[in-house]
Amino acid sequence: MEEPELWVGFVGAGRMAGGLVRGLLQAGKVPASNVLASAPSDRNLGAWRELGCRTTHCNLEVMYRSTLVFLATKPHILPGVLEEIRPAVGAQHIVVSLVAGVTIQTLQRLLPPGTKVLRIMPNLPCVVQAGAMVFSRGSNAGDEEAALLQSLLSSCGLCEEVPESYIDIHTGLSGSGVAYVYLFAEALAEGAVKMGMPGALASRIAAQTLLGAAKMLLETGEHPAKLRGDVCTPGGTTIHALHQLEKGALRATVMDAVEAATKRACEMAKD
Amino acid sequence: MSVGFIGAGQLAFALARGFTAAGVLAAHKITASSPDTDLPTVSGLRKMGVNFTVSNKDTVKSSDVLFLAVKPPIIPFILEEVGPDIEPRHIVVSCAAGVTISSIEKKLSTFCPTPKVIRCMTNTPVIVREGATVYATGTHADVEDGKLLEQLMASVGFCTEVEEDLIDAVTGLSGSGPAYAFTALDALADGGVKMGLPRRLAVRLGAQALLGAAKMLLESEQHPGQLKDNVCSPGGATIHALHFLESGGFRSLLINAVEASCIRTRELQHLADQEKISPAAIKKTLLDKVKLDSSSLSVASASKVSLFTSKSKKN
Repeated sequence: MEEPELWVGFVGAGRMAGGLVRGLLQAGKVPASNVLASAPSDRNLGAWRELGCRTTHCNLEVMYRSTLVFLATKPHILPGVLEEIRPAVGAQHIVVSLVAGVTIQTLQRLLPPGTKVLRIMPNLPCVVQAGAMVFSRGSNAGDEEAALLQSLLSSCGLCEEVPESYIDIHTGLSGSGVAYVYLFAEALAEGAVKMGMPGALASRIAAQTLLGAAKMLLETGEHPAKLRGDVCTPGGTTIHALHQLEKGALRATVMDAVEAATKRACEMAKD
Repeated sequence: MSVGFIGAGQLAFALARGFTAAGVLAAHKITASSPDTDLPTVSGLRKMGVNFTVSNKDTVKSSDVLFLAVKPPIIPFILEEVGPDIEPRHIVVSCAAGVTISSIEKKLSTFCPTPKVIRCMTNTPVIVREGATVYATGTHADVEDGKLLEQLMASVGFCTEVEEDLIDAVTGLSGSGPAYAFTALDALADGGVKMGLPRRLAVRLGAQALLGAAKMLLESEQHPGQLKDNVCSPGGATIHALHFLESGGFRSLLINAVEASCIRTRELQHLADQEKISPAAIKKTLLDKVKLDSSSLSVASASKVSLFTSKSKKN
């Protein structure tokens, strides 16, 4: 049975949108020619054209030519954009918002009643198909829409449906979380450089270490504490190092970070 | 089998209480000796039905398994004193932190060619039969000797054999461990009281919480991290509390504590080995301490003190 062709549109063509579309294209879910992206300037659109996508400066055009539409503007721009596209939104559309801090309630208020709305929070590694995304559905989005989104985006990484209240937490954990990991990787490498290893090599090894550890976590399904214990030979190097981390209250600091980002996401949503 | 304790302080009392409660040993098969009969533990031992004497030699003569239950600096003097009475049948068990098997064997070898020595590290909860004990056997102690001790100590808690070089770490962890737990329990109770609980109830609940958690861990295959997660519902009370613990560096404090206790044990052993503290200095320190303590005691005790020092003057 032939599936109806999917026409995908992006309102806004920044980093996050770019990450998603790269994932979609690399997974072969949608041909590039079926993708249309709009942005006010040409700054980002060149990269999309290079991928084979179509581009425009007209948001309305995206609505007319797409069924699945991703809203990927900056938060303060969104209300204006929604007002603009509202006349063109119909029953055939599935509107998926990537916009940080804009609730489903707000989206539904600014779009025609009955519009199928979903809200998603991806993270940057969607670009390399190792993203972590959570999404929630609005009142008119059903199992079909959720399943479609899940199937399209699983190509970009982990994609889970959640209650909307988890989205800000996901921001703190994983949206911002990648930055914490970059910081950690940088620090690891610097430690190695201090001990005499060249920087470039140290950075590559740091990254691979994180990748490998994460892979083991995901594939073994073991508790991280257990995996940590497995690496610690009595009186060995690892336990000495871990003691330093505990002395620095790394755990609490990381918890503080996740909490701060989550709270900020909530605050921003209220603005 | 009869058991003797040189020293009639906390350790001797705890072990005697444990053994008798466990039924592995009748009280009258236990002898304990100390020059100081005013120790509170002495009356406790007597009440138990343990044979108490002021003569260490008597203890040695009436025992098969001989526990050296004195403070580490005193061990050399004890060994000098009872060395001549040690026979091949004796199993000498030292519970003194930081005192090596080789130092004991060396001292005893002037009296007895092949002394059976076992080094042991236990802890105070033997008194309620929930002790944590490890032991290492010396050059001339047989497998059966080790097993005999293990049987005894297993009656008062967990007991396993280890290599001697791990004993200092064990001291830091389970030797000192109960003190960490008492400190934690005191503080937990304070927390309860602050939030409105009566003190007695707070202490009771705190202790039961730790007891229960420890039991769960011992009976579970799961990692403590997993067990912790099982208690933390998302956004709930417990995870909020744990965040505080982490912010305060709770984990590192505990690691530091175990490390400090272990290192100090090694230091003390090192000092003893090098004989940096002269025997005279040790004697004097102890004598001063006893004098301080005895300033409120009767004249009778003071004379016992001089008995002790006049004994050591023989050396």
